[in-house]
Amino acid sequence: MINHHPTSDVLAQFVAGNLPASVSVLVSSHVELCAECARSVQRLTQQAAIDAFGELADETAGDELLVTDMTSELAGEFEFELEDFDECIAAITAEEADDKRQLPQTVTEIAVGGERIALPTALRSIPLKEWQGMGKLSRSRLALDDGDLRMSLLHIDKGGSVPCHTHKGFEITLLLQGSFTDEMGEYRKGDFIWLDGQHTHQPVTEEGCVCLTVSSDAIHFTQGMSQLLNPIGRFIY
Amino acid sequence: MQTFVSAGAPDKGSANINSHPETQVPPELSVWLVRVADARDKQAFTRLFQFFAPKIKRFGIKQLGNEAQAHELVQETMSNVWRKAHLYDGDKGAATTWVYTVMRNAAFDMLRRVKAKAEMNLGDDIWPIEQVQSEEALPEFADHLMEKQMLAYVDSLPEAQRAVVKGVYYQELSQEQLAQQFGVPIGTIKSRLRLALAKLKQQMGDQQHD
Ligand SMILES: [Zn+2]
Repeated sequence: MINHHPTSDVLAQFVAGNLPASVSVLVSSHVELCAECARSVQRLTQQAAIDAFGELADETAGDELLVTDMTSELAGEFEFELEDFDECIAAITAEEADDKRQLPQTVTEIAVGGERIALPTALRSIPLKEWQGMGKLSRSRLALDDGDLRMSLLHIDKGGSVPCHTHKGFEITLLLQGSFTDEMGEYRKGDFIWLDGQHTHQPVTEEGCVCLTVSSDAIHFTQGMSQLLNPIGRFIY
Repeated sequence: MQTFVSAGAPDKGSANINSHPETQVPPELSVWLVRVADARDKQAFTRLFQFFAPKIKRFGIKQLGNEAQAHELVQETMSNVWRKAHLYDGDKGAATTWVYTVMRNAAFDMLRRVKAKAEMNLGDDIWPIEQVQSEEALPEFADHLMEKQMLAYVDSLPEAQRAVVKGVYYQELSQEQLAQQFGVPIGTIKSRLRLALAKLKQQMGDQQHD
């Protein structure tokens, strides 16, 4: 049972194509695991399609008649010339159909702690970099250029934890396997957790877990000895 | 290639397809899409193009911010519609929803190419466009008998070797990728593959002497 989902606003931005690539990948990976959000995304996509192609949803006019007027006005701006239209169609219809089935271009599952874990479809073209370990933590960065955002697969072995830390920017975690708990609750496979600088947490895992994370900045450890670890904040996220 | 009259350009007269703008989606859209998929029907495609192109351009201007890119989005989207129409399944939703998905994915990848100089196309991975269930993820051999026989040989291998052979020859993964997938050094992958191929060769050789 998945208890933590992206907000409806995040889902709407996802459907609109407005989120950064790594965040979109994470939301997509959650949607693949979550029937509830899959239904929401389907609904939102239908609505977006209506906005783009159907009865014109106009922000300024609520009146039906006005909407029609606006439509002809807008259409006037986007005139097409018949012959050019034909040229474009001719060029496209000269192309062959894509019969090639899409094969994953990278790994589709990983082995961690003796277990094989299927990776989300959204990751299928994104290469994994080499795994690096530190204590019970290991992580592999995903080779995706996305500005300041970094995406990683993170494995915390049985009984491991990440010392109490806060996020300077934001951190999104999708639990792919196993479970962990922190001050705010328990998280299981499929849970989507979005934390920002206001939150401080210390995830602990009894059975071990594998997460997909996106982070906007290095994490910052907040307590005692663990502050010595701040240089490795960059390592984890 | 300048196919569109830009906003504010002098009116060139009556050659304006969209002079009767649809405020309602024509019910035939889905039929046209299926005809494109099944019969490569150019007339059906022309109808789709006429309906969608102006609206895609409007979306492109909003999303990508300029006319030239919006124009590119029209071509990219409609080209994908032509080439991938067989992935549309009328039972799974409206034609407009599917075309929206194709369009949004293309816009997303275009924006990434411009902003992040990223060449990798991710749109169709993030928002899958295949609604038609593919029966088998593995590519088919032309020769079914041979395929069956080959698979039988491969399946007789010890599990670790079998996984490597399938990874290399069916999924077309590199040895580095497999090493990562199985969490073993690359040398292990190489030796498993060598052993597996030797064994397969031997089995097939035996077969030919029968
Ligand atoms: Zn959900």
